[in-house]
Amino acid sequence: MKRAFQVGLAVLLFGLALYPTMASGYGIRFMLQLFMWVALAQSWNLISGLTGYVSFGHVAFFGTGAYAAGILVTTHGWHWVPASLAGGVAAVILALLIGYPCLRLKGPYFAISMLGLNEVMRVLVSYFEGLTGGGSGLSFPTQPASVQIYYAMALSALAVTGAAYFIITSRFGLKFMTIREDEVAAEAMGIDTARYKLGAFVLSAFVPGVVGGLFARDTGYIEPISVFALIITITMIVMALFGGKGTVWGPVLGAVTLFVLQELVWARFLFFYQILFGAIIVVVVLLMPRGILGVLQQRYHLPRTI
Amino acid sequence: MQTRPILEVSGVTKRFGGVTAVNRCSLSLARGKIYGLIGPNGSGKTTLFNCITGLERRDEGEVRFKGGRIDGLKPHQVARRGIGRTFQIIRVFPELTALENLLVVTQGPFEAARRRAEELLRFVTLDRLQNEYAGNLSYGQQKLLEFVRVLMTDPELILLDEPAAGVNPTLLNELLAAITGLRDQGKTILIVEHDMKVVMGLSETIFVLDYGEKIAEGPPGVIQADARVIEAYFGR
Amino acid sequence: MNVVITPAMVGQVVISGLLAGALYSLVALGLALIFGVMRVINIAHGTILMLGAYTTFWSFHILGLNPYLSLLVSMPLMFLLGVLLQRTFVRRVVDAPELSSLLLTFGISIALVNMAQLAFTSDLRSVEFLTGAFLLGPFAFSKSRVISFAFAVTLSLFAFWFLQRTKLGKAIRATSQSREVAMVCGINVQRIHLYSFGIASALSAAGGSLVAVMVAIQPEMGQVYTFKSFLVIVLGGAGNYPGALLGGMLLGLVEQLSSLFLTTQVSEAVAYLLLVLVLLLRPTGLLGGRST
Repeated sequence: MKRAFQVGLAVLLFGLALYPTMASGYGIRFMLQLFMWVALAQSWNLISGLTGYVSFGHVAFFGTGAYAAGILVTTHGWHWVPASLAGGVAAVILALLIGYPCLRLKGPYFAISMLGLNEVMRVLVSYFEGLTGGGSGLSFPTQPASVQIYYAMALSALAVTGAAYFIITSRFGLKFMTIREDEVAAEAMGIDTARYKLGAFVLSAFVPGVVGGLFARDTGYIEPISVFALIITITMIVMALFGGKGTVWGPVLGAVTLFVLQELVWARFLFFYQILFGAIIVVVVLLMPRGILGVLQQRYHLPRTI
Repeated sequence: MQTRPILEVSGVTKRFGGVTAVNRCSLSLARGKIYGLIGPNGSGKTTLFNCITGLERRDEGEVRFKGGRIDGLKPHQVARRGIGRTFQIIRVFPELTALENLLVVTQGPFEAARRRAEELLRFVTLDRLQNEYAGNLSYGQQKLLEFVRVLMTDPELILLDEPAAGVNPTLLNELLAAITGLRDQGKTILIVEHDMKVVMGLSETIFVLDYGEKIAEGPPGVIQADARVIEAYFGR
Repeated sequence: MNVVITPAMVGQVVISGLLAGALYSLVALGLALIFGVMRVINIAHGTILMLGAYTTFWSFHILGLNPYLSLLVSMPLMFLLGVLLQRTFVRRVVDAPELSSLLLTFGISIALVNMAQLAFTSDLRSVEFLTGAFLLGPFAFSKSRVISFAFAVTLSLFAFWFLQRTKLGKAIRATSQSREVAMVCGINVQRIHLYSFGIASALSAAGGSLVAVMVAIQPEMGQVYTFKSFLVIVLGGAGNYPGALLGGMLLGLVEQLSSLFLTTQVSEAVAYLLLVLVLLLRPTGLLGGRST
């Protein structure tokens, strides 16, 4: 079973690596957005699914990364690759600033602080017009680079999924999960929970920052309401929950399923599908806390790493 | 010449709002002995445990471990100095496997940790369940798992909060033997326990708490005859 | 910054701050009530405020109902919605890890906001009623703000009287002290949860009706009130009901004071900074309270 899974995965990755050589422009852009959502849903999973601290404002890191990269590219002439990485660093700095006070306390404080963070970042970015272009946004003068961004997005999704795998399977990584499992017991057993929480949070902020930079470069234009949109947070949460939070492949499964459905069907019924998002969250929380993958794992007795 | 006590609690007080849960409590534990801590419900036993292990910040007093102050340290720092504890309500990591529950608290070489974990699981007859999620184990099995998890970090002082509650009689005897065995290896053990037979049988010295104050201290025989203890338990 | 700040400006700001703060207190009291009784932070609290505001808008727009009289509609309506939400959903996660209740109420909030989008569109709505201000000495008082303030204070005081003096109120306070003790005393805790959620929603709806005459109404207006109510609870200390009242006033003052130096938009960021500072320095709240 495990062997078959690994072989299948290797074939899939190989196929995805070759995909741009034979795909249309639309196909590549579709896939790079899919990778973006995998990366975002999985990042949320790191802090909320595996470590157990719900973040309602993860888009703040995405937006911060987008703007940091955007400013570096447009006003300082950086290449988009280092600029996106710098976007990740900017997100990490923000995570440290917010995480240090908010993660010392239990769940709700952190959750709602994150809800506010997104609003605040949007307001601040609009306010500092000189740097960010304010409400009129930032435009990128450069030519499209879909294929390169495809690979960069794929790497981001792979990296953060790798991190989730590492957390679930390694002794060091499991220490992150003890926070979700029982923070008090973890402390009493000598695990410095404050440090691991902050570590998980920083880890979960880095990739959205990078992905934000890549997104900015790909769309060529960003404005506060587009990159600090609550719906982005909602979407990553729904994807991770639907597929299965706290698992390695759940967020991937959720992102793929919901993104495909969204592109094909729901985009035409905007508010309907957002109502559906709300309903999915309610149903998953009440009836299947480990999402679709959790149901499958239980029914077919799959190992936790699948 | 007596050597310095491993744990010295002096004048520790803890208040919650207007309630004084622990009141100027002092204990002194010598290395390599088993101590009992008893008292009626709500007499402050668990709060005292929490003050020693850093889960609660004491309001007054000092806690010294091997001569160094540990009050004011965070719980994980206390644990790293060599104090392990179990909880009254079971606190295993339910969605980690039994084996992972033990491994996750260790540091240093992995192979050595795994051998130790497997050995301990065998010791409490959980070896065949090592890949089962801790949350799926029975109450008694979780209790044993929590007990051996403490041993994984090889603490010098072990605080056990009602280790016998809910453990079946056969396992209980093994558990008691294990505790005595730890003592023979030089560990110091402080037990909160409601089962008088257990605590009287194991402990060399017993402390009695009532309304957060230490009202008696002595060997089991003396404690059983102490009028204040009898009053604390039955007098109201 | 070369703006000259006169004592009169400061006085004006203090007045505006208190006027705004009373509303924050009223809404936050609802959130504090749910948290106190069930240890649940209701992310949909602001969403209910939004529905209250729409109730006022539509009853004014269609029926011509006086916005302040519409409290008599919005409060009972949202009380019922609150009871319904508690009964069907929230009840199931009260004892679950807080992750569940946070996510659940978040999901409910998303569904309700988008239903409102669908039903009412995202057009900005406003209730044109009692515009203008009157002068008292050097200070200007916006009429609608003063009346809203009066309503907010009256309702908050009434809520307090209710918690302190009535049998149901005492049962609610007992339940938030200790659920076990309340149960032993023969209090039907499930029912208390139901009433608490209902009352909290009614308070939030009242806040919505009162802000309806002052700000633009749209489906996403609620989120910021959830955040601010939470901030008020943090300022006042979790589980501390009088603290929620003082916390609201404090938030109103800080926001208005900061608007002396910064634009109104950025004063929202100031509220956030305040939250982070309080969490850093006084995690149990300025007035103390139970830690979670």
